[in-house]
Amino acid sequence: MRILLFLGGWLVKAALILLAIVVLNFCLVRLAPGDVATVLAGESGAADPDFLARTRAEFGLDRPLPAQLATYVGNVLSLDLGVSYRTRRPVADMVLERLPATLLLTGAAFLFALVVGPALGVLAAVRARRVADSLITVAALVFYAMPIFWVGLLFILFFSVTLGWLPPFGMRSLIPPSGDLARTLDIARHLVLPALTLGLFYVAIYARLTRGAMLETAGLDYVKTARAKGLPEWRVVTAHILRNAMLPIITFAGLQAGHLVGGAIVAETVFAWPGIGRLAFDALLQRDYNLLLAVFLASAVAVVLFNFVTDLLLRLADPRIGAAGR
Amino acid sequence: MPAAGRSRRISEPATGLRPCRGGGSRGTIFAKREGYSRGKTDRGSGMSRIWKSIAFAAGMVLAAQPLAAQAPQKGGILNSTLWPEPPGIVIGVNINAPTLLPATKMFEGLMTYDFNLAPIPVLAESWQIAPDGLSYTFKLRQNVKWHDGKPFTAEDVVFSFNEFMPQVHSRSKPTFERVKTVALDPHTVKLELKEPYAPLIRSFDTLSAPIMPAHLYKGTDFRANPTNQAPVGTGPFKFKEWRKGEYIHLVRNDAYWQSGKPHLDAIYYRFIPDSASRALALETGQVQLAAQTDIEFVDVARLGKMPGLVVTTKGWEWNSTISWIELNNRRKPFDDPRFRRAVLHALDREFIRTNIFFGLAKVATGPLHSSSPFYDPNVPAYPFDLAKAAALLDEMGLKPDGSGVRARVKLLGLPYGELWNRLSEYIRQALGKVGIQVTLESSDVAGWGNRFANWDYDMTTSFLSMLADPALGVSRTYLTSNIRKGVLFTNTSGYSNAEVDELFAKAAVATDEAVRKQLYSRIQTVVAGEAPIAWLVEIQWPTIHSAKLRDAIINGFGPNDSFADAWLAK
Amino acid sequence: MSFWQSFLRNRGAVVGLAVLVAVLLLAVSAPFLFPFDPWDTRGAPLQPPGEGFRLGSDMLGRDVLAGIFHGARVSLFIGVVSTVFAVAIGVVVGAVAGYFGGIVDDVAMRFTEFFQTIPSFVLAVLLVAILTPGLASIVIAISVVTWPPVARLARSEFLALRHREFVEAAVLSGVSHIRIIFAEVLPNALTPIVIMASLMVATAILTESALSFLGLGDPNRISWGYMIGAARAVFRQAWWLSVFPGLAIFVTVLAINLVGEGLNDALNPHLRRRTSP
Repeated sequence: MRILLFLGGWLVKAALILLAIVVLNFCLVRLAPGDVATVLAGESGAADPDFLARTRAEFGLDRPLPAQLATYVGNVLSLDLGVSYRTRRPVADMVLERLPATLLLTGAAFLFALVVGPALGVLAAVRARRVADSLITVAALVFYAMPIFWVGLLFILFFSVTLGWLPPFGMRSLIPPSGDLARTLDIARHLVLPALTLGLFYVAIYARLTRGAMLETAGLDYVKTARAKGLPEWRVVTAHILRNAMLPIITFAGLQAGHLVGGAIVAETVFAWPGIGRLAFDALLQRDYNLLLAVFLASAVAVVLFNFVTDLLLRLADPRIGAAGR
Repeated sequence: MPAAGRSRRISEPATGLRPCRGGGSRGTIFAKREGYSRGKTDRGSGMSRIWKSIAFAAGMVLAAQPLAAQAPQKGGILNSTLWPEPPGIVIGVNINAPTLLPATKMFEGLMTYDFNLAPIPVLAESWQIAPDGLSYTFKLRQNVKWHDGKPFTAEDVVFSFNEFMPQVHSRSKPTFERVKTVALDPHTVKLELKEPYAPLIRSFDTLSAPIMPAHLYKGTDFRANPTNQAPVGTGPFKFKEWRKGEYIHLVRNDAYWQSGKPHLDAIYYRFIPDSASRALALETGQVQLAAQTDIEFVDVARLGKMPGLVVTTKGWEWNSTISWIELNNRRKPFDDPRFRRAVLHALDREFIRTNIFFGLAKVATGPLHSSSPFYDPNVPAYPFDLAKAAALLDEMGLKPDGSGVRARVKLLGLPYGELWNRLSEYIRQALGKVGIQVTLESSDVAGWGNRFANWDYDMTTSFLSMLADPALGVSRTYLTSNIRKGVLFTNTSGYSNAEVDELFAKAAVATDEAVRKQLYSRIQTVVAGEAPIAWLVEIQWPTIHSAKLRDAIINGFGPNDSFADAWLAK
Repeated sequence: MSFWQSFLRNRGAVVGLAVLVAVLLLAVSAPFLFPFDPWDTRGAPLQPPGEGFRLGSDMLGRDVLAGIFHGARVSLFIGVVSTVFAVAIGVVVGAVAGYFGGIVDDVAMRFTEFFQTIPSFVLAVLLVAILTPGLASIVIAISVVTWPPVARLARSEFLALRHREFVEAAVLSGVSHIRIIFAEVLPNALTPIVIMASLMVATAILTESALSFLGLGDPNRISWGYMIGAARAVFRQAWWLSVFPGLAIFVTVLAINLVGEGLNDALNPHLRRRTSP
């Protein structure tokens, strides 16, 4: 029953947030000077008022703003996100086409961070104040301070240009190899540097969080009790300390969703990764409103969903978190 | 040629894989699917070194074949870059630059123009122009078929010139509104004009007046016609597939009217969004052709030095691009010609040519491009001279204030890429040296276009094609009658000179080339003297292609030609 | 143990402070050590680091070292100013929410949550692009996307302090709410907010450099991110154009983080978990 209440409440909240995002985005984008008609005119090297008027009418840009907004909201509710001004393709198609690439990148980065980060944190906590701890703590500090795009450029300079081990750009070779396995490996090879670039920042964060949380819980009574009971050290670490140390990590992971999308834009730009981050940026430059709104909406949906998952995990992990919430 | 001692492959497979480069200060080029090139200067045993030298020498011999002497070989797939992805591939419905590359392979005009802009017959076999210039009679080629098998007739030409062009092609509309086309018989058309129009003879290329299939377009909504998604033309290549976001695929038209052509089996136009990726694709042989803005100019020189790649700046004679700083003549201090001349004197255009355009440019002297038959180099010149610039400003009464500033202006830079950002930065520094303080305004493409068209700028950088005839591409920037607010590529600077207007009008209708030459010389002298805009350089767009691609750039349209003659050496 | 003593015990914090002071000196001394415009062509383009150009020159022959010095001013300026604005907004929202409670709190928190759900960098990019890139638009954009955590922190502080005796006494004696908020409660809530603010300066600098890298920086002010972004076309040939400005960003951000954590450890050993990243 509580789960249902929780779900219901969440759905309502999510819907309201998304609606607000749609309206906000719509207003923001319309505030900008110039529109897609001028972009298309510029590329043609010729433009007459007919062309401009016609293009604008085609996209309903000549109607009053409230009417445009109402139409847009109505369409979104019926899952019609409109058509891209530039390519005349349904925007939902374009987003869905590139969404997997971004999910792959952010997913890989996130998983990498979630696995390596706490692992390093545990190592650092268990070997507190010794060499390993110092190294890990310093490394965490270092990667937390580096701008993502700089890390990416350095990786390319080192691993691609100098050593030639990994490809510097893109998601696949231009002419993909034949065979599913070869193709998968091709993508995997291209994924390494971008995922590493995006993920190292979070590895640093999670390592430090884990270390801190573990050191705190290690001193708590129930842990001492467990040790006194004669449980082997590794069981104490995993079953007791780690489980509780994961709470702040999950909380933090939830907060990071929005940040991850932003980081994806930068990583996708540096590595020419064909995801929606870069798509959004290009759409912005070309004033392709429909596309921009769709990407923004998609990332907001992703963030809301992600928060939902982390909220759920938190509740499952610690039933005490109910009314207190966040 | 790579230095001796490094490994080198002799036989290069069809994809144009390139020899490994040793590691060193430049590092390794990430390349093939088979493996990654790594630096290993192999100082093996004496025996293997000898073999290496022999192999190297053999390689040199094989590579030194004369390029032009070979006969075209049939077959091969050409991969070209194309960016950004065009909104459509039918000329007229779209005239964006990226539309032109694939569209010119599928469609044809009555004629095309060579490097000197002299006409070459295509769909028109021959033509006659009446002495009074009021009628043009074209004999059309017979046995030409559309890609769907229907025959090409005079009806198609009549439809294209009377209906299609005036309705959709915004650049050619003014030209074809002067003309009434009739079919004298299924293979002859006559164009009738009310007054002579000399530029007309240079307006029949594919980009300006492609012939469209009347049987598919007549009576329909041209823009919404479903044929636009799978175009039907008379050209050497047929449309096969457009996988959005990935490529456009064209295949050989086996029923093409030039027998034995085209030589290529197919062409792929691949969309690669990142310029560094495009350069890489070219280096590794995954694409064999890139043109115009596909590769950053700074990379072009580097790519040109690679064996296996050729860089040429030929093929843009029809296009004739000039870049300039447009000065809003309506605003102070740009309304004073002395200020405008001072701006020109303060710019080191040779520096711009070398360091910003990386040599892929020629310093411009005035409103006409040096490849135009009407170009006159003897016009008032503006050498780089800071003292002269300062003197002009002094004369105007613009003396430096306490911090050395004489005037404060803003520059709305063209936001088309890094090259234009560097240009804006340079302009700011250069003008700053004579006391003109420039503040850069950022914008995106839409905002720039909007402000430019609506005269909301002090200075802005821009570039424009002069096209094949000054009446088509040059006059639009200087005619008083072409001052149209809200429309790009018109007389946005606000320059107005009655004498120049009259001269342009006369030159457009004069039929004698010598007379026209005189008129345009006078125009160049007057306009260059008044300097309504600050001409910078004639951009020499590079086309970079694999050395295996032959006969691709053969006329004034370069990569925008039909490629009927292009072939890939094995 | 006094604040300074405990701060100075943290070696990391000391190093960070030293570096930060050095960066400040960089910014301040720029017009003296490099009295020319960093945008000026000073020699041949694309020179590697060496005799003529200590850190090399870029594609228009501009001095990278001069760019680093002058760029420090922009980065520090934007970092500090946008944080000040973000803190101002956050404190106001959080204080109001925590102090008044009830409906006001609900509304304020929904508002804050909304802003936290929007992908912040995407919003920042949108804002800068719409307001046309410039110093002002970058500051506004960064402030607008980074204030929510401050609001949450301020709210929890105010919630905790609201029911303390001295506040109740002030309310009873009829002091206006505004006075209570700013004169009585805020000074006591300041410590964790200041610590969070110091760490936010680092994030602001990172965000500004990312925006400049993407081409949304102020074209009239040289900044480290802008230098890296402008050099992308030649970064394979001229590694120094990407490495050195990036190093500057990294070192500055690291220093600020160290100082912030030092402050945290010294001032608030119990709140360490709440405010650390």
